[in-house]
Amino acid sequence: MQDSPGVRACLLGNLAIARGALEAGVQFFSCYPGTPSSEIGDTFARIAKDADVVFEYSINEKVAVEIAFAACLTGARAMCGMKHLGLNYANDPLSSMPYVGVEGGMVIVSAGDPSAITSPNEQDQRHFCRFLFYPIFDPATPQDGLEMTRYAFGFSEETRLPVIIRPTTRVCHSSGMVELGPLPSQKNEIWFTKNPPRYVPIPVNARRMRKELTQRFHKAEELLEGSGFFPRSGNGKYGIIASGVGYAYATQVIEDLGVQANVTLQQIGAYPIPDGILSGFLQAVDSVLVVEELTPFVEDWTSLAAFRHGRQIPVLGKHTGHFPLEYEYSPDLVEDAVRDYLELGKRQKVSVTVPELPPRPPVLCPGCPHRASFYMMGRVFGINTVYCNDIGCYTLGYGEPLRACDVLLCMGSSISQAAGIARLTGRRTVAYIGDSTFFHSGLPALLDAVQADDQVTVVVLDNYITAMTGFQPSLTTGTRPAPAEQPQPQTTDDDHGRFSIEQAVRGLGVREVYSVDPFDEQPTLDALKKARGGAGVNVVVCHSPCVVNERRRGKGKKGLPYTIDQDLCNGCSLCIRMLGCPGILVTDGKYSIDGDYCDGCGLCAGVCGHDAIRQTVSESV
Amino acid sequence: MNSTSGQRNGPGRRILIVGTGGQGVLTAARLLCDCLVERGHHVVSGQLHGMAQRGGAVQSSVIVDYGISPVIPSGRADCVLGFEPVETVRALPFVSSRTVVYMNTAPVVPFIIGQQSVLQGKEAKYPDVGTLAEAVRAVTPHIFTFDATQRAAEAGSARALNMVMLGCLFGAEILPCTAGAFWGTAVARMPPAMSETNGKAFLHGVELGKALQLAEGRP
Repeated sequence: MQDSPGVRACLLGNLAIARGALEAGVQFFSCYPGTPSSEIGDTFARIAKDADVVFEYSINEKVAVEIAFAACLTGARAMCGMKHLGLNYANDPLSSMPYVGVEGGMVIVSAGDPSAITSPNEQDQRHFCRFLFYPIFDPATPQDGLEMTRYAFGFSEETRLPVIIRPTTRVCHSSGMVELGPLPSQKNEIWFTKNPPRYVPIPVNARRMRKELTQRFHKAEELLEGSGFFPRSGNGKYGIIASGVGYAYATQVIEDLGVQANVTLQQIGAYPIPDGILSGFLQAVDSVLVVEELTPFVEDWTSLAAFRHGRQIPVLGKHTGHFPLEYEYSPDLVEDAVRDYLELGKRQKVSVTVPELPPRPPVLCPGCPHRASFYMMGRVFGINTVYCNDIGCYTLGYGEPLRACDVLLCMGSSISQAAGIARLTGRRTVAYIGDSTFFHSGLPALLDAVQADDQVTVVVLDNYITAMTGFQPSLTTGTRPAPAEQPQPQTTDDDHGRFSIEQAVRGLGVREVYSVDPFDEQPTLDALKKARGGAGVNVVVCHSPCVVNERRRGKGKKGLPYTIDQDLCNGCSLCIRMLGCPGILVTDGKYSIDGDYCDGCGLCAGVCGHDAIRQTVSESV
Repeated sequence: MNSTSGQRNGPGRRILIVGTGGQGVLTAARLLCDCLVERGHHVVSGQLHGMAQRGGAVQSSVIVDYGISPVIPSGRADCVLGFEPVETVRALPFVSSRTVVYMNTAPVVPFIIGQQSVLQGKEAKYPDVGTLAEAVRAVTPHIFTFDATQRAAEAGSARALNMVMLGCLFGAEILPCTAGAFWGTAVARMPPAMSETNGKAFLHGVELGKALQLAEGRP
């Protein structure tokens, strides 16, 4: 990223947010990856050195927030990135940070996922504003994302409040025009002065801080009123208030319908909504339509303001059925509501009949080691065992044919859920968890199972990377260059700089620990059988690298592709019923392998009972 | 109060590029954005994809001189570049009678079709490509179908599919930017080893775009 003020560029929303932080002179960045926030951290991972930013992919969001907050106490401008769910994990430190207050500016960017496109739920982080006294910025476009982030650091220092930027998927993953500003020539000085009454929220201090917090939050509201993030346009009697990407849709719909003269459009770019902004707006219009995704947050705020100011005009939105309470909005949804509001008649819908189309569901890649682990586990533990799964690519073990996911809740929940079910049913259960998720929040759950001596087999699926969110390193990625040959299961913490899961779990009191390569059939089956017959908690670590990441690293495929001998294949379908590998094709009852897609792992050859699946031989042999 | 039509007469354009992961949809959208921004246009681009995994459905909008919303409303795409037949039809909600649709007739058959027939015992087939084209034609007369993957292969690599499709867009002069100007932007951003193949594929596409427009008698 270069110092090119005034240049206009088309930037991904997440990159625009990273740029805003750079222009504000950010000095520290920590994050835990999570869609749709990941590109912000990945950008800093690339540029941290050149931009003189101290960077880390943290173990989890709680640690990321705590370490960033500590950084800001030294005077540094600190930033912290995560998805909406990460904010929940970090809720404990988040709740006291506004009390203590910041020294250098602190900005948490927490990306929201309306419609739960890549998450187990949708969540409205704007409630952290009233819940824990966080000023929150709500960008509608990448330009907003850049400007709000740049502004937020100084604003944080002035109010001593940590702040949250809350972009949603449509802002994070859309590209839009932004105007770049200058990069700062100076950054904050770093120091730490001891001052326990200022930094230690023991009750006697916390009660004092609480009073100050009210004043600082009030100041935040005052500053926001002049921040420029509440633009109002038009002077029609039909009021429309919009926030987030809903504002982008509303501007487009108003222009498309040609109703600019009838409408006053008010963007809400931050919370707390300054009372002056709302009261002025309410005086200017006869009614209000609120356009916002997720909960009726602005809508309720507006209704209350109208009530307080004795300006009781209709406030329409989710409560009145103009918008749904669930899912993300679309331009169509906004157009329908605006048409209804302005009595323009219904949108002309072209009746398009889309024929039934085959879906393209996400699936474990050909050669994925998780498939091998699930397959081996299925052979030993059978279909009646309860499989508790976790957050990562391996969640794709859900459903047919792998059936590796009976329950799921959140990051790290597999081990505690397996423990709970085992304790109550008296039967051994299985927890599947990836390397990054294991360190994120699996460790405390494992300790809990160990202290209760639960009948749980924890299978750590170690593919040396955080694959699903875009290949961020995990503790087992290692710092040294990988050896030329295929990585072997490691048993010490000195294997290519990789952190040893085995040593970690032994240290937590697990006595029965197995290390396997899930593609290595017999040793894997032997270890799993021992684990099945074991007592208490045991851990099986399945080591094998993510095949997509191996290709990204230029290491190529696992082997030459396999083919199916049509004379030997009798169409028994066992390969598909056991593995569901997308590299195996069935066309008119004939089985074949997509040689271009096949990673050469050979798992299917081991499944085939007719010896019909064989590896191709290179021409040079 | 009267509302005007949503379609404006100005030069603004909404392009939708659809296909499957691995076909170069996102790269095509990125190149379009870069090229138009270099020429001073206001561009917004939205991506819709699951895990951007090979074989997954991918949609990318490129909205030129047309406001700040990254999402194309129903029926308001000016042009759909369909890299794959099923994905082209999946984009039908964005198509109106005025939309120009370029549809590659070479399917990327979802593995799930064959596997579902095994796992669920129900016979499933990839839809007939002619029937898919008819479904589009029922909405817009401006549909052009051709085997773009074959054209790319003739140019040197099936991976140059996105260049053939982009060539069509510029041959048909749908955007406020010439084919030559686009190529200048694109060639600077691709590995030199690919420029010859990509160049041939792009020219194939440009000629195809021109010829198809002429055949239909559009200006």
